[in-house]
Amino acid sequence: MNLRPHHFILWIAFIALMLLMPQFVGNGTLRTMIFACYLAIFAISWDILSGRTGYLSFGHPFLVGIGAYTTAILTRRYGFPVEASIPIAVLVTMVGGLIVLLPALRIKGSYFALVTLAVMELMYQLVPVVRPDLTGGTRGISRLPALTRGAENGYYLAVCLMLAVALFAWLLMRTRLGTALWAIGMNEESVRGSGLSTTRLKSFAFLVSAFVAGLGGAFYAHYLGTITPRAFFDINVLFQIIVAVLIGGAGTILGPIIGAFFMVFLLEWLRPFLPGQERFFVYGAIALLIYMYQPRGIMAIVESGWVRVRGARQ
Amino acid sequence: MTNALEIRNLVKRFGGLTATNNLSFDLSQGESLGLIGPNGAGKTTVFSQIMGELRQTSGTITFQGQEISALSTPERIARGISRTYQVPRPFAELSVRENIRVGLMPDSLRSMIFGVVDHARETEIAQSVGFVPADLDRPASELAMGDLRKLEFARTLATGARVLLLDEVFAGLTTGEIGMIAELIQDLRGRGFTFLMVSHDLPAMEPLIDRAIAIERGTLLAQGSFKDVLANADVRASYLGEA
Repeated sequence: MNLRPHHFILWIAFIALMLLMPQFVGNGTLRTMIFACYLAIFAISWDILSGRTGYLSFGHPFLVGIGAYTTAILTRRYGFPVEASIPIAVLVTMVGGLIVLLPALRIKGSYFALVTLAVMELMYQLVPVVRPDLTGGTRGISRLPALTRGAENGYYLAVCLMLAVALFAWLLMRTRLGTALWAIGMNEESVRGSGLSTTRLKSFAFLVSAFVAGLGGAFYAHYLGTITPRAFFDINVLFQIIVAVLIGGAGTILGPIIGAFFMVFLLEWLRPFLPGQERFFVYGAIALLIYMYQPRGIMAIVESGWVRVRGARQ
Repeated sequence: MTNALEIRNLVKRFGGLTATNNLSFDLSQGESLGLIGPNGAGKTTVFSQIMGELRQTSGTITFQGQEISALSTPERIARGISRTYQVPRPFAELSVRENIRVGLMPDSLRSMIFGVVDHARETEIAQSVGFVPADLDRPASELAMGDLRKLEFARTLATGARVLLLDEVFAGLTTGEIGMIAELIQDLRGRGFTFLMVSHDLPAMEPLIDRAIAIERGTLLAQGSFKDVLANADVRASYLGEA
């Protein structure tokens, strides 16, 4: 995990490319990129918990949804300004997630994944029927206040948010805490046997993950302007998040971002040829091939390519 | 000599099976005690209870004069007792240095986030167990069994523990590696460390211990000098298969 010159080069090139993008592409592509940026934020959030500690969360759309619904309800039903509703939404996501999902962190392996999946499904069923006067039922909540006007401004906001989240996660994972979270993913008993409280470590990872998910969910809701239960508490949202991490490269920061962009653009590229649901088969097959070729994702393919190029030069 | 560890009337039941049966023994400060017994005698179960990985059904465990039965494993380690495992449990994708770093970490989120990595201390611990500088950045997955044992020692030492429980410390090692680990234990004994160790390799263990206790099915059979314990008729019958 040592920093190497090509890491800096990759990051600088990536940030420059992102910021210059509106000069080269149209509004349609920018809107696709905005979605990719938000998906990348959700993927980074998932990776902080699941990619590091190995606790596979199937409940992340639940966390994203809490953030989105909280800010939507506060702004539309109670007239809160966005500046106040977003921080509250993040806080509610962390506290709500902690109450509902934290007990599940004491469960291991596939049981943890199943409990989190059940929580998400429960939300999908409950949100439309419990207090529909607040949640808007199956139709959701529309006409949310927008944070920006126009695709270009929306793009800059999404990119800056994604880069800020990535920088935050990168700095955190470079600390000893990041090493300890990695170690949990490899052998939790040994971490405990080294004198560290793994419950505390996992809880912290979960809180950070919920913070990022809530933040992304709240901003995304205001970008969309309309939210519905299906747009958040849905198994497809979950798969998009997980596949973005896996094909990009779990346990890295750039990996989930690359995975999110790759996936979103692949689907968009396939749309003219396969306008129906069948494009998901093609996308699934490509994702599977990448995963079979290199289980550590595109990041590992790039890394090994870089090593080969350096080796050839020397 | 004051006792580092006092085990009194320790009982552990798994349903109808009694794995530890009213076991009592002491471990003096600076002493090295061998725990012997046939496979399934309950030696590892005793270790797991001392470390809090398993809760005893009844009985007390006193460390440095204080009852520790209610403490979690990390809390016990913070008091100065730690263990190694029968099968080494490294963090395979982390380097030797990072494995040691996990042992050195304080159990505090604030320190883990804002504290500085002590590279010098990591190197010092690695070298104290016999690693050379070139090994420090190698991933644990590339290490041979002898080096994995050394790494486990290093991580255990990094916790700051002065009382070490060593489980099957010579298992899977070559003759050369056994000599290397034995030398390391002798060195630590000379530095005042206290040991409770389990090994089926009795000739290798004999010079490393001050005395021994033998158990079978969780019950104490004999304790005393290594020779006296091995001469005990019950021990010979159960452990060495002599009638």
